[in-house]
Amino acid sequence: MKTWTVAKHVLFRIGQDPRTLILIVLTPLLFVLLYGYSFSSGRPTHLKVAVVNEDSGLASVRTAELGRITLTLSLGAKLVQSLDRELFDVVLHDKPDKIQEEVKAGKYWAGLVLPKSFSHALANEALRERGPQKTTYQGRSVELLPPETAEGALATLYLDDSNPVVTSWVALSLNEALTRLVAEQQATPTLKDPLDVHALYGGQVSALDYTAPGVIGFAMTLITIMLTVISIVRERASGTLTRTLVAPVRPWEVSLGYTLAFALVSLLQLGELFLVSHLLFHIRFAGSPLLVLLIVFVYAIGLQGIATLLSTIARNEFQAMQFILVLLIPSIMISGVFWPIDAMPTNIRLLAWCSPLTYANSALREVMLRGRGISGVALELGVLAGFALLMLLLGVRSMRRQGYSA
Amino acid sequence: MSETEEVVRARGVKKSFKNRVALSGLDLSVRQGQLYGLVGPNGAGKTTLIRILCGLLRPDAGEAVVLGWRVPNFRIRSQIGYMPQEVALYPDLTVMQNLAFFAELYDLPREQLKERAEELLALVELSDRRGQRVGTLSGGMQRRASLAASLLHKPRLLFLDEPSVGVDPRLRRSLWEHFLKLAAQDVALVVTTHLMEEAARCHVVGFLNQGRLFAEGSPEQLLRKTGVASLEEAFTRLEEESKVRT
Ligand SMILES: Nc1ncnc2c1ncn2[C@@H]1O[C@H](COP(=O)(O)OP(=O)(O)O)[C@@H](O)[C@H]1O
Ligand SMILES: [Mg+2]
Repeated sequence: MKTWTVAKHVLFRIGQDPRTLILIVLTPLLFVLLYGYSFSSGRPTHLKVAVVNEDSGLASVRTAELGRITLTLSLGAKLVQSLDRELFDVVLHDKPDKIQEEVKAGKYWAGLVLPKSFSHALANEALRERGPQKTTYQGRSVELLPPETAEGALATLYLDDSNPVVTSWVALSLNEALTRLVAEQQATPTLKDPLDVHALYGGQVSALDYTAPGVIGFAMTLITIMLTVISIVRERASGTLTRTLVAPVRPWEVSLGYTLAFALVSLLQLGELFLVSHLLFHIRFAGSPLLVLLIVFVYAIGLQGIATLLSTIARNEFQAMQFILVLLIPSIMISGVFWPIDAMPTNIRLLAWCSPLTYANSALREVMLRGRGISGVALELGVLAGFALLMLLLGVRSMRRQGYSA
Repeated sequence: MSETEEVVRARGVKKSFKNRVALSGLDLSVRQGQLYGLVGPNGAGKTTLIRILCGLLRPDAGEAVVLGWRVPNFRIRSQIGYMPQEVALYPDLTVMQNLAFFAELYDLPREQLKERAEELLALVELSDRRGQRVGTLSGGMQRRASLAASLLHKPRLLFLDEPSVGVDPRLRRSLWEHFLKLAAQDVALVVTTHLMEEAARCHVVGFLNQGRLFAEGSPEQLLRKTGVASLEEAFTRLEEESKVRT
């Protein structure tokens, strides 16, 4: 099996070349440091949010004049109506017991459950904060009195807090809507935490955690593709590839040898990236490191295929760089590393689903942030494996052609 | 000579790159133990022909049979040696590291590598440079190292593309003596050159220009046929004659 001979040789040459070695070791470091220290956020749009509105709309309130009266306020419906439609894609839902599960499954960024007593609780909570309020009831002037006991949580919010940028926007906007709603009821209380927020991931995920898996994938993609393309283009230009392909070695053995070597380099870089981001920035790592290794390995194999293809098209190193800039950078930008894919315009989103990094990024996030097991990332792994296989075949084919036309 | 095995047989081989014709229907026969000199100016098609015979390029038309197999064919690879026109060694590795890698590709056992490498380094007079990076060797030394790499696995058939470019005259003479020695051991060699003094040492010379092999024979035959004093003149004379004919 000459695959290992070629792989060993490629690794040996990398080890011999201080400049390449530095590139391999320092670039991931640079990436992590840059992103660790300079993270910025913006306003997302079209976050999918499920709302279960069980509100009866009725509020039973104490009055000085009439004892208990029942007001029809429909605050639940009003809240739903007043939600920011640019920020949220609101889905009306009718199974409150399913919602937590579905948010956890990633179907929604948040699930808001307004209980039957929502109007009642909100009205009384407002009175408790604000004190007695004058109003008219059935043509009579009445004074509404605060409740004798506290009403507790008004509603329940299940929040996917694996993306802190999204989390803060959801919580902020919902609180705003509630406050506005109460203000419209003539009472303007300052409600303290009207929502009972259930942060499903313990509220420990930072913005950095969220981008870390993507940045790691991004760094890997750039470095391995550049290394491989330059390395193959150089071998072709110097004639060593010709000499290799004249020897009793199959083109697929050469191609696979390259793939193996650079996939191993990727794993090495991955280890480094994790170590640094964990030690310096305490990046969250909830899932299995072995699963992360598997994802990265499968992804790296696909990258090698792309690199081999690129190296056949590119006549020289300069052209190879151009291809990388034109093809690779955009595909990285849209892969959800820096910006949630949910927050992208539809046409860009479609493109994003064509970029393999999207799947690698998503799988890494699921494992690192949410601690998912292999079944939780089966789809992503499947897509990545299919992609790897296809690219490997195309890569081998192009390597064979290099032999016949070098 | 006629009983020896025919190791290369090309019939009507054509090859073009885009619109440029590199080989236009070429026939060639090389026998075991023969030192065959492909002689022609730059761009004549020598390298293209060798690449086809090694299985690196597919001919557009015609066929080439090498060691009994129509090329490209994987089966001949362990028995042929190819020294490309370019140095084709890793400049960042030492001479020995380069030899070790290519030896491994040819399944040369580790124990044999040492002995074989020393033998070849002595031949190309690079024994004292075995630990030096190829990139830091002089041009001529690099070509000698490249030759050593092509001889590692003791091929039955050797393709040497301009092996003596940049090699000084004294060493060039000793290399050609070695080529003749290999031929005496029944190795067939196809060597390209544009130097007539080298062509004069070959068993058979093929004159190549613009993708056509317009004359072939031993140096003596070619000189006798044209009645001139040098192969240079013979080349010019024969090329003119062939143009008149067509
Ligand atoms: N890969 C290639 N692409 C385009 N043209 C080529 C290629 N290889 C060779 N040629 C052309 O084919 C002709 C023969 O080239 P070559 O076989 O290298 O000649 P020689 O080795 O005798 O100098 C030349 O005109 C050369 O420009
Ligand atoms: Mg040439």
